[in-house]
Amino acid sequence: MTTTTQFKVLEQNHPRVDAYEKVTGRATYASDVYLPGMLACKLLPSTRNHARIVSIDTSAAAALPGVRCVITGTDFPDIRFGSGALRDRYVMPREVVNFVGEPVAAVAADDEATAQEAIDLIKVEYEDIPSVVNPLAAMGEGAASVHPDLESYEGYGFTLGHNVSTLLDADRGDVEQAFRDADVVVEDVYRSQGINQGFLEPMACVADVEPSGRLVIYASTQGPYQIRAGLAAVLEIPVSRIRVVPMELGGGFGAKLRLAFEAFPALLAMRTGRPVKLVNTREEVFTMNGPRLPVTNYIRSGVMNDGTIVAREAYTIFDVGAYLGAGPNSGIGHGIGAYRIPNFRLRSYGVYTNKIYVGSYRASGVADMTFAVESHMDHIAHQIGMDAYDLRLHNALREGDVSVSGAVVPSNGLIETLEAIKEKIDWPRQLEDGHGLGLALCEWRSGSGPSTAAISVNDDGTVSLLTGSTDISGSDTSLAAIAAEALGIPMGSVVVAKRDTDMAPYTGQSGGSRVVYSQGTAVQRAAEETVQKLIALAAERLGVPEDALGCEDGRVYVMDNEPQGLTFAQLAAASITSRGGPIIGTASLSSMPYTPVFAAQAAEVKVDRGTGQVKVLRYIQAQDVGVAINPMAVEGQLDGGVVQGIGRALTEDQQFDPDTGAVRNPSFASYLMPLAIDLPESEVVLIKVPAEDGPFGARAVAEPPGFGPPAAIANAVYDAVGVRVKQLPLSGERVLAALNGDYDDIPFDVEALRLAEGII
Amino acid sequence: MKQPLTLNINGESRLLLVEPFYSLLDCLRDDASLTGSKKGCDEGDCGACTVLMDGKPVTSCLVLAHSAHGSEITTIEGLADVDGLSPVQRAFVEHGGLQCGFCIPGLIMSATGFLQDNPDPTEEDVRFAIGGNLCRCTGYSRVIDAIMAAAAEMRASA
Amino acid sequence: MARFDYLEPHSVDEALQMLAEHGDKTRLVAGSTDFLVRWRTGVWRPESVVCMQHVPGLDYINWNPDDGLSIGAMASVQDIELNTEVRSRYPALAAGATSFAGVQVRNLATVAGNICNASPAGDTLPALLAYNAQCRIIGPSGERSLPLDELFVGPGRTALAAGEILTEIRLPPPAPNTGGLYIKHSPRGAMDISAVGVASVVSLNDDGTCASARIALGSVAPTPLRAYGAEGRLVSQTPDAANIAEAARLASQSCNPIADVRSGADYRREMVRVLTERTLQHGVATAGDTPSFDDIRRLAVQTAW
Repeated sequence: MTTTTQFKVLEQNHPRVDAYEKVTGRATYASDVYLPGMLACKLLPSTRNHARIVSIDTSAAAALPGVRCVITGTDFPDIRFGSGALRDRYVMPREVVNFVGEPVAAVAADDEATAQEAIDLIKVEYEDIPSVVNPLAAMGEGAASVHPDLESYEGYGFTLGHNVSTLLDADRGDVEQAFRDADVVVEDVYRSQGINQGFLEPMACVADVEPSGRLVIYASTQGPYQIRAGLAAVLEIPVSRIRVVPMELGGGFGAKLRLAFEAFPALLAMRTGRPVKLVNTREEVFTMNGPRLPVTNYIRSGVMNDGTIVAREAYTIFDVGAYLGAGPNSGIGHGIGAYRIPNFRLRSYGVYTNKIYVGSYRASGVADMTFAVESHMDHIAHQIGMDAYDLRLHNALREGDVSVSGAVVPSNGLIETLEAIKEKIDWPRQLEDGHGLGLALCEWRSGSGPSTAAISVNDDGTVSLLTGSTDISGSDTSLAAIAAEALGIPMGSVVVAKRDTDMAPYTGQSGGSRVVYSQGTAVQRAAEETVQKLIALAAERLGVPEDALGCEDGRVYVMDNEPQGLTFAQLAAASITSRGGPIIGTASLSSMPYTPVFAAQAAEVKVDRGTGQVKVLRYIQAQDVGVAINPMAVEGQLDGGVVQGIGRALTEDQQFDPDTGAVRNPSFASYLMPLAIDLPESEVVLIKVPAEDGPFGARAVAEPPGFGPPAAIANAVYDAVGVRVKQLPLSGERVLAALNGDYDDIPFDVEALRLAEGII
Repeated sequence: MKQPLTLNINGESRLLLVEPFYSLLDCLRDDASLTGSKKGCDEGDCGACTVLMDGKPVTSCLVLAHSAHGSEITTIEGLADVDGLSPVQRAFVEHGGLQCGFCIPGLIMSATGFLQDNPDPTEEDVRFAIGGNLCRCTGYSRVIDAIMAAAAEMRASA
Repeated sequence: MARFDYLEPHSVDEALQMLAEHGDKTRLVAGSTDFLVRWRTGVWRPESVVCMQHVPGLDYINWNPDDGLSIGAMASVQDIELNTEVRSRYPALAAGATSFAGVQVRNLATVAGNICNASPAGDTLPALLAYNAQCRIIGPSGERSLPLDELFVGPGRTALAAGEILTEIRLPPPAPNTGGLYIKHSPRGAMDISAVGVASVVSLNDDGTCASARIALGSVAPTPLRAYGAEGRLVSQTPDAANIAEAARLASQSCNPIADVRSGADYRREMVRVLTERTLQHGVATAGDTPSFDDIRRLAVQTAW
């Protein structure tokens, strides 16, 4: 399944354009910015999860030698903002704190040690308010209200139930009738854990004020324009008075999409007139910046004896913590998985609790949904006595089917990914005791959103590429490859410009599998416009019609007389004195058509019957990438994504205190991400069914690899030892308990939710 | 109060003024202006701050700066010279053993120290050798490929 | 955030003087790995540290058949892991060392520091206990020797008096036909704090019965501890499956674990049983052999057997 298109640049490995900087330590991250006269900023975290701030005494801190400024919530304008759809928070709380760790004061001092000493001198008097930590309890009428004034917040929509920030629904067909008609009904409840994004570079930024009064922010961010907009809102200054310089990004995975702590050093810089740097400690990363929070999933299917799934009902409860960050959209967007299910009722709740607010992470919530849906698929298969692979193949979405959102499914490689996995892992196969195989099918779509690009031709025939996107996982290199391919020049002839929000045109965030697909399309179109302009100029200079000209290898030539032509360098030189002026191609777009991405994955595991521990012996993934822009980078994305998924399956577990909601394991020594020792060799199959849209047929790549491991590994554990664990992670303790038969199902009162909506 | 400290860093003797409670990592970054070594956790859990002390990889966040005098310290900035990258650095570039790059100085220093004593490692040896380095982007596969390739190249040119 | 001064002795005597002068306002550090982490989190707030890095002559590891192994206070955990005598004669200690953090921390951390910090989860401690380690301690009033087992008083607390320094750890030579292993139970293959750690060292008589068995447990009580009851069950017995299983059951009864973010208490107790069984079986099976370090390394932190 390879494409027949002959590429000159794409489908070949290219080292990253920033590789030299990164292997020599020269790449500059936000924490590497040192400016003359720079002050250090430290933050004071709330020690309460729901309390009124009676008073904050900063006098001792302010009096400490070396301290230049202390700020609290009331130093900011009285403006609510939102990390997500709802304006439900202040950048720093004014009257009420809602989670342990929420920053309530900030200090700027001559050095970090002094700033921290000043923080330790600030006295806050709190008055506790009743709080709630468990989202299922929070939905009950008697529970404490996290946001008593919720209905007055800007962005609030229709919801049902107490403490519910968001209720999303999706319905199709006659669900009740379909369940009555079904031969078998299978019902499960799954729970997935809190997850930290685990980026290695702690959040960091430096704020500076130019002599003109403009604010400059050197940030570690996936969304420089989003930081600019957020800062403008909370500081009440015009967007044009802010310049955001995205520095090298040391991992984000969704955690650095939005305004985080930049407003604190920004206000301190404005107050002191000096540059102010804030670098979070690892503990602050864990306790202040939104992780993913636990998800509880009720899922029920009506199935015919031949394996056809005719009905699906799913109720998903997303804990959103103190503030709505990433919404619970995946609860409805991914409730039926990669399957054609004609009748469904999907409900997704975002529920407030007094713990750290929910953040984004690599397709927020889809991995949770995939764990539930794909574990449930295996459960269905066992209930009706059908092979788990055959059940998936039988129900898989095909071209022309209607997706959950109502879009028609275009051509894709879903079936090919399944077939590739079956062959590679040799499914089905009898293994020795304690060993097992498991499958998971993952679905996603290529990301859309505002995208812009500009390409200018330099007078040596090279081009400069300018986009507003922060580099994420090698996207700069992929964008350069797309430009090179479209222009017919080598990779080395594309200079990727460093940029900031003054320089580059507006663009959406770098996240959601968006950059290469959407931004890449903008680059491709900008390159095509550049070629058009080069051809037009060549036509003028050579005195031939434009349609008589071809463009290849950095040269525009007369098609029936190839030696006659002009190189890009010659054209660039000529352009300077031409009527049209220097050559620049631009493109701008906002939305892209629905382009699905499918991946099939398989795990082979060994379960230790003594300790319950699970070891992954093999992990195989096949993903339809459309076209591999830079195969080395594509495979790198798949390798890394799966490892994050394996961590989610086995060892990663962000735990919260059941009474205070405080993060219990705020360190890399207690939040356990996989190490090289823990992993099998990566096995990746690239399926290439070109997308109908997207640059040269490429599909998004980054998100699906991480979806499958929890379900594939849980399914393999079932195959190995016959127990189905429905909670993540699949720790030794949990698996051993299941082996001993003392495994509790997760309580879930679906009747109450149906009744609240009037469904009997 | 800051006190004078003479350190041998990347073959140069540097006289610095350093707080007594500073770690070697803080000293390298704040006082010696060598920001290639990264602070990922400041708890010895991530390995991004790895440097070589007398040839051995250590987490520089757990070394008292003032205790490091008399040792030869090599940081990521000390590997490449005017003739180009070190074999390990080159292999990371060629094998795509990096993404966001924040963990990479530490991984390259761990690998460099390891290969000096273990020129012909197995893949399992490499996995153990970088067991103290967290990477969230790459899944380690291409990192391991790069280290194995660097080892082969160093053997061939030895 | 508490600033501290840096003090640097160049001899043990000078270190003793510094400790005497600064009393409980100072803290002795060797590798400084635990110290800096706990200082940053505010657990330890000394006004100064006495750093032993530049005291010469303490980083030795010596072996001879009469006295066994002597480990100087500044020998690093990595020195222990790489030492060929340790690998061949004290495999459980080699396993404890290799399971300890990652290479970069092992190059800094010392065995003596691991002992003095007295964490119940210290990875070298169960093996040292199982090899009957003796501590050589120098203080203002001279030198004394103390069995390691008597040194641990509570979590982070030792029987070291004010102003005393642990200068050497001695392990007696192992009896003929001895085998042993340490297994660390952890979800991850490195860089982890053990949820449970068990070291067993078994010596066999010519007739195959147990001459001695020593079992030590980590992370399941306020201090690392010996499972004397379980050991007694094996002495003079044939170490067959039934006897080993019974000893393992007794070991799990002898501990008093807590529940924390790593694991529940019941699970920890059950892991003591499983790991005691496995380390004993391995010790018996390899008694008298020179085990390969590759095997030790794999077994020490095995996420699933």
